[in-house]
Parts: sequence; C-alpha cells; structure tokens
Amino acid sequence: MPRSVAIVGAGPSGCYTAQALRKLDPDMRIDIFDRMPVPYGLIRYGVAADHQGTKAVIRQFSRLFERQNVGFAGNVTLGDGPGQVTLDDLRGAYDAVVLALGLHGDRRPDLPGQDLPQVIGAGRLTRHWNDHPDEASFDPAFADRVAILGNGNVAVDVLRILAKRADDLEGSDLAVRHSDRIAAAGLRRIEVIGRAPAHLAKFDPVMIRELSKLPHVAFDVHDLDPDHAHDPRIAALSDLPRPEGAALTVAFRFGRAPDAIEGVDAVRGVRLAGGEVIPCDAVITAIGFRDGNAAPLAADRPGVHAAGWFAHGPRGTIPDHRAAAKALADRIHTEISRQDAIDPGLADALMGRLARVVDYAGWQRIDAVETADPPPGRVRGKLDDLDRMLNIAGTEQEKTE
Amino acid sequence: MKIEILYGTETGNAEMLAEDLEAHLSGDHDVTLTNLSDADPAALAVDALNVLVCSTYGEGDLPASAQPFADRIKATAPDLSQVRFAIFGLGDREYETFGLGSDKLASLLIGQGATQLGERLVHDASGSDLAEDMAIEWVDAQVQTAATQSWAA
Repeated sequence: MPRSVAIVGAGPSGCYTAQALRKLDPDMRIDIFDRMPVPYGLIRYGVAADHQGTKAVIRQFSRLFERQNVGFAGNVTLGDGPGQVTLDDLRGAYDAVVLALGLHGDRRPDLPGQDLPQVIGAGRLTRHWNDHPDEASFDPAFADRVAILGNGNVAVDVLRILAKRADDLEGSDLAVRHSDRIAAAGLRRIEVIGRAPAHLAKFDPVMIRELSKLPHVAFDVHDLDPDHAHDPRIAALSDLPRPEGAALTVAFRFGRAPDAIEGVDAVRGVRLAGGEVIPCDAVITAIGFRDGNAAPLAADRPGVHAAGWFAHGPRGTIPDHRAAAKALADRIHTEISRQDAIDPGLADALMGRLARVVDYAGWQRIDAVETADPPPGRVRGKLDDLDRMLNIAGTEQEKTE
Repeated sequence: MKIEILYGTETGNAEMLAEDLEAHLSGDHDVTLTNLSDADPAALAVDALNVLVCSTYGEGDLPASAQPFADRIKATAPDLSQVRFAIFGLGDREYETFGLGSDKLASLLIGQGATQLGERLVHDASGSDLAEDMAIEWVDAQVQTAATQSWAA
C-alpha cells in the first residue's frame, strides 16, 4: 500500500522535502499544506522583490504540483481553533508529518527604546513589501534618515529596496504603492550598523557588489580593518563608489554595538557604545528571526519531523536546506517503509472535512490574475487581500457546488 | 549518438534542466545523466558527446555538486585530450558573477586538453526566457554538429 506524508509549510524546505520524497518513492501520497492560499512561503514573501532570479527556484517546485502528483492544500492553518487542522488530525491520516513552518518573528534588539513606533522589524517590513496579507495594513514610517541594525543579507536587501529608485526596480514585483511610498519618504541617508567587524559580517560580498549599480548613491564606509584588506567583504565594501553630489548616502559602520534607540515619542537616533549618537528618524532591525508560537509543536513526537528554519533555527541558505531536506526524506522514507501504511482514505476524509481548502488549481487562478496585467516594469502585481485571493481561488464556489 | 549529460547543481535548477535535456534527447539517442558529484574526470567518455549543465553560486564559484569534480581535475590533472564537451550555464545577471561557474568548469576541462564544441550559452534566471527553451534549442545544435564528426558513435 502506498505510504503518505503530510508536509506543513509550502516554503523552500517543505517543497524540497516533497521533491526528495518523490524521488525516493513515485507512489507516495504527498500533500503540502500552507496557511496561505498560495505556495512557496519564503520565496514569495521573504526573498526580495528585485531578486527574481532567486525566486526562479519556484519552477522546480511548481513541477511538483503540475507533473509529480504532489498535492497542495492552501488556506489550511495548523492549530486547534475552529476550521483548523490539528497535528493529531494529520498524524492520524498520514504515515508521517513534516513541519516546515519557517520562522518569521523578528528577533528584537533588546535595547532601550525598541518599542518606539518607528522601530521596524526587517522581516515584517519585507513581508509588507512582498504583499503578505498579514502585513497589508502595516504602515512603516520613515523619512529623511533611516538606521538599519544588522549586517546580514536581510539588512542588505532592506537597504537596497530603500535605495532603489523607480527605474532600478524594473523587472521586479515590488508594488508601485511601495516604491511610491519609499520615494515619497525622500531618504537622504541610510546608516547600516553592525556589531561584527566587516570581515566577520554575515552578508555575501556579491550582495555588496550589487549595490554599486545604483548610480545615485554615495557609500560612506567606516571601520574597515586594514589588517583584513584582502577579505572579500572588505574588498567589496572598499570598491563601493562615492560620487559627488549623490542624492542618497549609505553609511556602513562595523564593530559598533548599539546601546540604545534614542527618542521620547519618536526615534531620534541610535546611541552606540562609547556614546556616539547616529541621528535617524526610524530604525529597522535586521538581526535575525525567532519562532512565533509554534515551538510546542516541535516537541518530539513519533512520526512528526521538523524541517528547515523551523527545525534548525534561522541559519542556512535555500540550497543548504535542499541538502537537509534530502537527508530528512531519507530518514522518513526508511522509517515509514518499516511500518504498516495508514489507510489512504483517511487523508481524503480529512481533506473533505476542511473548509475552503485552496488547491493548486486555485493558486493557479490567483497566479493568472497576478501575472495577467502587471503594472509597467513589474513582472507581477501581487494580491494582498486574503478575501479577494480566496474568491479568485474559487473556494466558495467549489464548496457550494 | 552516445550522449553523457553531467550537471553541477546547488539549488536543483541545473539538475532539473539536465533532466529536461535527458528527456528531450533520450528518444533518439543513447543518453546517460550523472551528477558531477558522482563523476570521475578521468572516466569522461571519449566516444560520446559530453553535455555539461552548470550553475554559478556564491562569489562566482562552482555549485556544490561540481566542486569535488573540479578538485579531482586539479589534483590529478587527467589527460582529457580525447574528450569532447559542450557546456550550458545557469546564472543571474543581477550579479556581476553571471555565468562564472560554467566558465570555470569549461576552462578546467580545456586546460586538460578537452575540446569544447560550440558556444557556451548561459541562461539568465532574472530574464524572461525559460531555461529549457534555450537549452533544448542549444543542445539540438550541439548534437547536429557532433553528428558530423567521426568519433560520434
């Protein structure tokens, strides 16, 4: 009898796990659940809107659903509220369950002043810019001068989107309302403040080199250690241009620990250890991610496996998780091959009990609307209204038929 | 014709493209598909068209699955003077490292005496063309060229 696996989370780790399981067993029933009516998780909502090449990995994942008989069950939330599916439900209907829920909470800097309204988490801001329905009404306030805390690739993504002008966003899927909003802020200076020295910064040098394509930006790089001049990060930073009369200045500071976010009702600056205050009107924290409320689910349970950032913490690139997913798929395949298979009718019965499930065809209807008539210079006009997405997916209609 | 498809992949995109080429060619030809991580450079076929598919990763580096292969070439300096290959690259023009992975791999093979057939073509992940459309047209041209040569079985 064919085995069955439920994967919760249609982001890269969930999809890579499905891909690896499918290679091991062409007959396995594999269903990927997601709380959104759309698949791909971090690829859609985390990867920057102007990194469409990185998003191209979606072409592998769409093939799972289109040619490799993997099921998509969107708009299904894991939990014990009304209409939700519990881990016990899944465990009772599938031979194994994989939790690939990701991590989306922004790690907080633990500084005085962090609750000021202009302190913004980079993950939340990225989801807002990527039109995640949960953040559609978020209204990030920035003007004049912004400080970004952190020096990983997420910090560089945020900086690059803030620094780009309309022309630089050609070929992206950043909504015009976001780019208009950024342009209206009239940013003149962005400060990127990292605790680590530049040669230990977490960003990839190519991400820094990519910034040199922005002709209207002058880069003002501080705190480079001449003893590490050959480090590729320092080499990339040293090569950044500093044209005269640039409209926007981006300053990098390294090895500088922030002590406090200053301001009474509004952010006025970031005070660094040693007392120097970097003036700014908003602070974006890009210092990592933490779990939301899913941690209890990760507790050891037979037949339940965790994958990706949800399992290992917010570390590792997309392809790192491909390798990890292969290893996990091997373990699951071995384990469930030794057990009696659960009656495949139970998964069908579970699916039938769930209201308003968006299947892959439903996602394709959303995708068709998003790509049919994108704004000029954009490859996609993303929908951010959940009700509208569900209506387009046609779940209501299917339920009443 | 005997065709050996070898791929170097990091995210899986090059692997999928190599599988597409295998599916496209296997009706008319004797095709094998191998991850470069499982390939021995000294054992590259001399009576086949070797079709390489290779992405770029990191700072213009070879993808993870091609690295051990490249390391073995550097360590053992095999004689590849009887080897013919064509190579298709994957890259992202957002970065200045566009296509460097396949370029490095081609240089390594040529450095050991291998003969490159045709032009190296690199697909741009940030562009609008589909990789398989480009690669299938390209591989058909490589096969056509190879078919006129005496070594092709």
